[in-house]
Amino acid sequence: MRQNSAAWERAAEVHEAAQGWLRAGAIDEPTEHAIREAFPDPCITPSAVWRVLTACVVAAVIAFTFEAFSIAFRPSEIGHQVLLFLFAGASLASADLLEASPRFARRGAAGAASFLGVGFLLAGFGLFLVDTLHMRPDDAIDAILIASFLAWAAACRRWGSPLFAALSAVALFLFLGRLPYGRVLWALVGAALAGVAARRLDEASWAPSHRRAAAVLVVAGVVAAYAAVNVYSLEAHLLEDLGRIAARRIVASRGLIVLAALATAVVPLAVLASGARSRRTFLLDSGIVLLALSLVTLRHYVHIAPLWAMLTLSGAALVVLALAVERALRRAREGDIAGFTADPLFSDERRQHALQIVPVVAAFTSAAPGPAAEEKDFAGGGGKFGGGGAGEKF
Amino acid sequence: MNPDVVSAIARLRAENILSSGQAALFDRVARRQLVSVRLEIRVLLYVGVLLLTSGVGLLVTEHHREIGPWAIAGGIGLAAAACLVWVIRKAAPFSWGEVQSPNVAFDYVLLLGLLLFASDLAYVEVQFTVLGPNWAHHLLVVGAVYLVAAYVWDSRTVLGLALTTLAAWRGVSISLISGSLWAADAGRLRGSALTLGTLYVAAAALSVLLRRKVHFEEVFANTGLLVLFGALVSGVLDDGSTWGWWLAALLAVAGLVMWLSFHLGRSLYFAQAVVAGYIGLVRLFFEPFLYGRDGSSLPFLLAALLGLGVLALIFAAHRRMKER
Repeated sequence: MRQNSAAWERAAEVHEAAQGWLRAGAIDEPTEHAIREAFPDPCITPSAVWRVLTACVVAAVIAFTFEAFSIAFRPSEIGHQVLLFLFAGASLASADLLEASPRFARRGAAGAASFLGVGFLLAGFGLFLVDTLHMRPDDAIDAILIASFLAWAAACRRWGSPLFAALSAVALFLFLGRLPYGRVLWALVGAALAGVAARRLDEASWAPSHRRAAAVLVVAGVVAAYAAVNVYSLEAHLLEDLGRIAARRIVASRGLIVLAALATAVVPLAVLASGARSRRTFLLDSGIVLLALSLVTLRHYVHIAPLWAMLTLSGAALVVLALAVERALRRAREGDIAGFTADPLFSDERRQHALQIVPVVAAFTSAAPGPAAEEKDFAGGGGKFGGGGAGEKF
Repeated sequence: MNPDVVSAIARLRAENILSSGQAALFDRVARRQLVSVRLEIRVLLYVGVLLLTSGVGLLVTEHHREIGPWAIAGGIGLAAAACLVWVIRKAAPFSWGEVQSPNVAFDYVLLLGLLLFASDLAYVEVQFTVLGPNWAHHLLVVGAVYLVAAYVWDSRTVLGLALTTLAAWRGVSISLISGSLWAADAGRLRGSALTLGTLYVAAAALSVLLRRKVHFEEVFANTGLLVLFGALVSGVLDDGSTWGWWLAALLAVAGLVMWLSFHLGRSLYFAQAVVAGYIGLVRLFFEPFLYGRDGSSLPFLLAALLGLGVLALIFAAHRRMKER
């Protein structure tokens, strides 16, 4: 990443923190203005709406232009590869130019151009392997996954997008899953990746976006390691299915299954403990998700109670747990327990509320019955019922 | 720790921009010695409500014969009433302005109570056919109850549910990917969507003009515009002969929304109008080439050029718009 870009990102971090302080009423507007003056950020930083809109339109422009060239020149197999590489080069060069400009660096255009640039590069490389070198599909997939891992990692290093770090990690683990002892590699490399990336989370010499990419890699490593040791994944050969077409499935021994069952219980707790000790909420969130997956795994093997009872009880338990935690934190002498508080601190509550509307509406709104249905004679249970998540099937 | 913010706080304190009290608190947060888990508590509550309502739904589905319709209807009704009684007891006095939730659980207990009420109503309708052939109107009842609850207890989440439930009553699903606006009865659905979208946008305008729950404006307007543009775009993309009229209407509405949102400083409304207008114009470029034997690169080139024009419009609007 350019030194300038890293410096701009650091200033933006300070501005964002100052905006949070202002929103919470901890500082006044003149102080916030003084902070802006002390840490000048020459970049124009539009809101997320503008960035997403710009990224979508840039992606459409590049895609339409590529299609126009494809149709106009009707290239041969090799010509098609050349066109893909040309577009990759042009997109990546544009992304680099845009990133260097304070006017355009944070508008979303650079992100879209770099994403499509790497996409074109990988597509061109894939066609080159299959059409020109006539590589076997399995070998070509391996080569594309390695190239994908390297390309996304290089893009993350250059432009600092955490999304690219995630894509690089996905490519790496898909490749490892195809090797002999892929499951062992997932566990070992996952743990190693999480450990190495965790050491860089607070690295002052790294740009903020690189630190966020490190956080993504920690999560990717933890998830990979958990997927490798989860007992259901072991018994169902989920990772082995990623392997080559002719790969053998080895039935796990009883001892290994017991070990995996233990690991399925222990790993989420270890992640939760690590999150609580380091006070990193993304680790706590990952631990909660893994714990939920472990409980689902437990339910798969041990039918403690009917599904409806499990759902109702776990839902009630979650509500009670959340309320108990919130009440304990509220009643704590200094408003916090071991550094955790239920206060919003400097986060944007209004934005969180606005974002909350989308999943609630998506999850609980019923399907549209259609006006035609109103005219039908009623046949019990035959229509679509249910406002707000209520179903018609009773 | 956020090393950039930590070092910035030290410098701001040294330059007397921050007081020692401010710097101490900010430093504690930046070093992660004090961390908020409010979002995590909210997510746990939301997932808890989701699981609870799913569990109740499954119980009723699997055991309604053994339990009996009266017991089920009564049980769910009691649970809903318990939630709503708790909400009534905890709620702050009504105001036409924005009211803060008394605690973090309030919104979720309200949501749970209303969802259980909706489930109960649907169950009663299926079992006892209260509305008979007009069974679809139970969605109107649910939507209306949601709407009243949203105003009484000042919940934007419940308002969002109310608007989408009322849309569902008229046969319009907010999830355009489900393809409801391309269904066989598409013309009538589009008519409903246009009416609802216009009503919602009008409600947004009235909220601001009458200063009644002004903060509901964004929920009303965003849902309304989504439904409105969904109907217009689906009309433009339709194979029928009327797509040109739909395009003219789409461009007129998109232009009007862009102009209004620019002056109101609302970027999300502007973005919806830009995307909808762009899709409509792309359809126009492709129309002359749809039935040709060989593909032409011209519409793609025109679409790309139009995209560049749209980018210029976006940059210009962003530079001049005073976002709120």
